[in-house]
Amino acid sequence: MKPFHELLETSAAAHGHLCPGQVVGVRMAILGCRLIGLDEPTRRDQIKKLIVYVEMDRCTADAVAHVTGVKLGRRSLKFMDYGIMAATFVNLETGRAFRVLSTEEARSLAAVYAPEVDGKSARQLAAYRRMPDSVLFRVQKVRVKLDACDLPGPTRRKAVCSRCGQVVRDGREAVADGGILCKPCTEDCYFSHPREVAWPDMNWTPQEAGAPAAEPAGRRACTLLHLH
Amino acid sequence: MLKKIKVEEAIGTQLAHDITEIRPGEFKGPAFRKGHTVCDDDICHLQKLGKNHLYLLDLEEDEVHENQAAAILAGGLAGAGVVWENNPREGKISLHAAFDGLLTIDTAALAAFNMVEEVMCATLHSHTLVKKGELVAAMRAIPLVMKRAPVERAAAIARQNGGVVAVKPLRKARVGLVITGSEVYHGLIEDKFAPTLSRKVTELGSEVAGVTFAPDDEGRIADAIRRHLDSGCDLLLLSGGMSVDPDDVTRKAIRQAGAGEVHYGAAALPGAMFLTATIGEVPLLGVPACGLHHRVTVLDLVLPRILAGERIGRKELAFIGHGGLCRDCPACSYPHCPFGKGS
Repeated sequence: MKPFHELLETSAAAHGHLCPGQVVGVRMAILGCRLIGLDEPTRRDQIKKLIVYVEMDRCTADAVAHVTGVKLGRRSLKFMDYGIMAATFVNLETGRAFRVLSTEEARSLAAVYAPEVDGKSARQLAAYRRMPDSVLFRVQKVRVKLDACDLPGPTRRKAVCSRCGQVVRDGREAVADGGILCKPCTEDCYFSHPREVAWPDMNWTPQEAGAPAAEPAGRRACTLLHLH
Repeated sequence: MLKKIKVEEAIGTQLAHDITEIRPGEFKGPAFRKGHTVCDDDICHLQKLGKNHLYLLDLEEDEVHENQAAAILAGGLAGAGVVWENNPREGKISLHAAFDGLLTIDTAALAAFNMVEEVMCATLHSHTLVKKGELVAAMRAIPLVMKRAPVERAAAIARQNGGVVAVKPLRKARVGLVITGSEVYHGLIEDKFAPTLSRKVTELGSEVAGVTFAPDDEGRIADAIRRHLDSGCDLLLLSGGMSVDPDDVTRKAIRQAGAGEVHYGAAALPGAMFLTATIGEVPLLGVPACGLHHRVTVLDLVLPRILAGERIGRKELAFIGHGGLCRDCPACSYPHCPFGKGS
């Protein structure tokens, strides 16, 4: 694994800014990987051994993903919307899993670890670099039950919603009233009142490299319609 | 795990912890020690101590008794120059100075340690001069039974820089004194600085190797500094000429003598115009005139730290500010007062 300062630099660049959460995330990932015995998680021979569950959608999550190389689209990054500054690192080969939690007291202790630094964010940034892991984190050894449908690789199963016909992959369908339903057809859905609409420039297609230029953006803008 | 039983039913069982007895103004200590086998005669005594129930101890694999926890914690907290006995009383272990020296507390690690739930450590102030055997800190695991993981995490936090509590020996320095000021040099007034500084140096176990008087002349003061260095002095104290008057040239002389790092101004009263510098590895301390008037000044805060091997620079002089204001009491009680205790 690259040195901490290099990882922090590239992580902050990928995330968009350097902040205390980036420091915590980079260090959380370094510790998590160390605990499950992966020293180069982004290398080809290790990347398929790793799954990370992040429990927050904050700066720290991006840093964890950057350092470990886990990705939502590879199914190696799992987002659990718990609102907790924690991530669990799973070694698929050994089954070992550790949940690393950022301690709340680290925030209070920033003032004693970086007393000469003024400003809350700058002080936390400096302090979180200085604190040992024992102050910054707590660790739990955990068991993670991984279903075949949660693992990377090809789609394991497809089901069809009995109400709307939507294809649902990897066992994410619900069963209600004896029938199979997709999540949007249940009450457990993040949106409501779906209604299919038409949209401007419905026939837009990406141009192949070397093809004639697309029509002017201005003209396309004129065709924008209100969507009702 | 703890099981609660009635005290009358406890005969033949072993006590899970020390049981404290307090007789106001007369006695405070363990009436019964952990491991004591309860007998018939004890029941009345225990009831008089307000114990109608006792705990039976049955530790899980991931649990530790408070005494075991205290020993793990003490091992993490105790740094160099600190000794302790693995004989907890009422769950407490005390840390003592192994020799005379300067107590140093890693205050950040101490705060982090105390932020772990159910453990505590209280210490004397950092930078206190202590004697061999003196109590410098005490700690305990608060519950009777703790999970092992937080105890070990607290111990790891404590030892992050080699232990929270340490005692550093004071080196025996060969001190050169440079007393500046044309009024003293020419005999217009009697010098009081040399005896004052000499007393402070010798009280800390060092020796004054030589005293040189110099007028308010940069070159002459710089020469005096060099002569002390050439004669093997490994600490220099300079008095006078530290203020802002045109005749105050000691600072310039210190630079002329070859000091690379000079820090002028300390966040202490008395002692605002204090100076620290180094030439090579030799520290130089510039003592302003307040050192004559006040019994205790910033010099008394800094000198032991220098002799304990600390480098005192901008940051250290700035951090003295909290607690760096002398109350100028009619009867000075230093070091048993807040002066210099905040840093």
